[in-house]
Amino acid sequence: MAKSLSPVAGAARIFDLSLGELIWSRRTIFMALVVGAPVVLSIVVRIVQASGIAPLRVNGVSVDAVSVFGMIIWVLFLRFIVPVLGVFYGTSLIADEVEDKTITYLFTRPLRRGAVLLGKYLAYLACTTLVVLPSVMVVYFMLVPFRDVARSFPALLTDLGLLAAGIAAYGAVFTLVGAWLKRPLVVGLVFVFGWEQFAMLMPGYLRRFTVAYYLQSLVPHAMPADQSVSSLLQSVFAETPSAPLSLAVLLAITLISLGLAMRVIERREYVLEQ
Amino acid sequence: MQVKILGTMLPGPSYNLAGVLMTTRTQRFVFFGVAILVVGLGTGMVASYVGLPNLGILAGNGPVELAYIPSDATAVAYADVREIMDSGVRQKLLKLSPDADSGADEFEAETGINIQTDVDRLVAAVTGTPDPKNARPLLLARGRFDTARIEAAIRAKGGTVEQYNRQRLITFENSLGLSFVEPDLALVGEPSAVKRAIDTKAAGRQNITENQNVMRLVREFDGGNAWAVAHVEAVMSGNVIPAEVKQQLPPVTWFAISGRVDDGIHATVRAETRDEAAANNLRDVIRGIVGLARLQAGQHPELAEVVNSLELGGTGTTVSLGFTVPPAVIDILGAMRAKQPRPSEAALLQVLPLPGL
Repeated sequence: MAKSLSPVAGAARIFDLSLGELIWSRRTIFMALVVGAPVVLSIVVRIVQASGIAPLRVNGVSVDAVSVFGMIIWVLFLRFIVPVLGVFYGTSLIADEVEDKTITYLFTRPLRRGAVLLGKYLAYLACTTLVVLPSVMVVYFMLVPFRDVARSFPALLTDLGLLAAGIAAYGAVFTLVGAWLKRPLVVGLVFVFGWEQFAMLMPGYLRRFTVAYYLQSLVPHAMPADQSVSSLLQSVFAETPSAPLSLAVLLAITLISLGLAMRVIERREYVLEQ
Repeated sequence: MQVKILGTMLPGPSYNLAGVLMTTRTQRFVFFGVAILVVGLGTGMVASYVGLPNLGILAGNGPVELAYIPSDATAVAYADVREIMDSGVRQKLLKLSPDADSGADEFEAETGINIQTDVDRLVAAVTGTPDPKNARPLLLARGRFDTARIEAAIRAKGGTVEQYNRQRLITFENSLGLSFVEPDLALVGEPSAVKRAIDTKAAGRQNITENQNVMRLVREFDGGNAWAVAHVEAVMSGNVIPAEVKQQLPPVTWFAISGRVDDGIHATVRAETRDEAAANNLRDVIRGIVGLARLQAGQHPELAEVVNSLELGGTGTTVSLGFTVPPAVIDILGAMRAKQPRPSEAALLQVLPLPGL
């Protein structure tokens, strides 16, 4: 019988195997479209700016490039791209193997099942951060003039950090959902576009049971003030936790979700449908 | 390479956990993503710790003539005279008002320098405490000069020539100083200001390029052929502005205007206030004025294009207002002026009875 690999070595091997699978899967086309949209938008904004027209005005005041970038981080990346990628990739890490009936191949290796999940989760982290963060970087340098780079660079670093934290937290939550439930994608979408949206608008402490609440408090840019009812309500009930608390909670969400997911996968018996 | 198969079941090749599993194209993908991040972060860090403008590659440090201007200058202005003289706007203005260049003629009579033909670009600066009694700014004119003819003309009017810091300084009645510090660069101004400019250049330091407040604004003038920067607080500390007017002015610290004059005029006026509250107040005032102008534009559709081009911007302590005067509007203004009745010759003679008539 083959010698069993240590959990770390096993996770590293699964990471090595899964990274390519994730990157070259059909989901990558979806991810490219989602992440490419802000890049295309930034190119359009740049062209409009170059022609001497203000691309965005609020109450007759033209919004500068750094604020436009902040708005893209808020509206596109934080509210949409990061949660959606978390749902689509996180829920598929185990569910796809079950659906394709290939999970047996992994579970029959001399590895702990938890190491398989950990390796897949790390591959998800690498795959999404290697697409999302460079995209943010391209959008930044497309939008922000060189003269404003020095002033706005610390905010960019914060943005990159919080997006990485968001990818990690959402990914861990939906990895747990994927390992635990039978229809994880539906549950994930309901969580992101139903529960989180609803809870963030509610007064009281319901919002504390969302990931978005802790991510939003870390954003270095001002919240975009449009006239929509949701933005208005959110600004009325604006109450943000401190940055250290948010970081601690996000770390806890990630570790607890991942730990629970590993525990679920160790104990659950996956029945492959014939 | 020896391939070990782990486990007992023989899966498809991708589930073989031995050897290098990451394919070349996956490695390339990872490398590409990491490279974008590294280049972006590296650029940002260089910009933060060194400052991109200081690299001198990505952002200019203003015209080289700034090396003559002392660092305590309260106002600096620049004009690409050649571009402006050749612009469609000036040609139209000349047609509308042929005597518009009378100021340039006075300058030529005083210094022998014809701004229209001799000068390519001009830098002006006000140094020291502004004083209306001592209002002549320091001018640095870059162009083509017949130095011998100009010097002879000033000497003929009673001017004197002296050597100062290895430069020939021509002075006239102790009110005008002129020195051709480079074959194609003339310094004109108060003799003391010209001497100080010569000293500043010779020292190679303490010039305006070391004044970060000014240079920060100068570096932001992208592509304009005319600009001006003024330290409003310094200007207001002098006697130039009456005390009653000073009290009504918003608490602006720096004022800048930059623009491009070609077939039309495209300009941005920028003000920096002491604090964000003052900036917000100023923005509100300008917003009100812009709103009023838009209301008025309904009655004067010919000016609607200018009013619609008004663009209020800026964040924090900065307030900016951009506008464009398109060629069509300049034509309309010219036509409006032409329609205005000119006083008849008889009426002029009544108002201004000439001697001997």
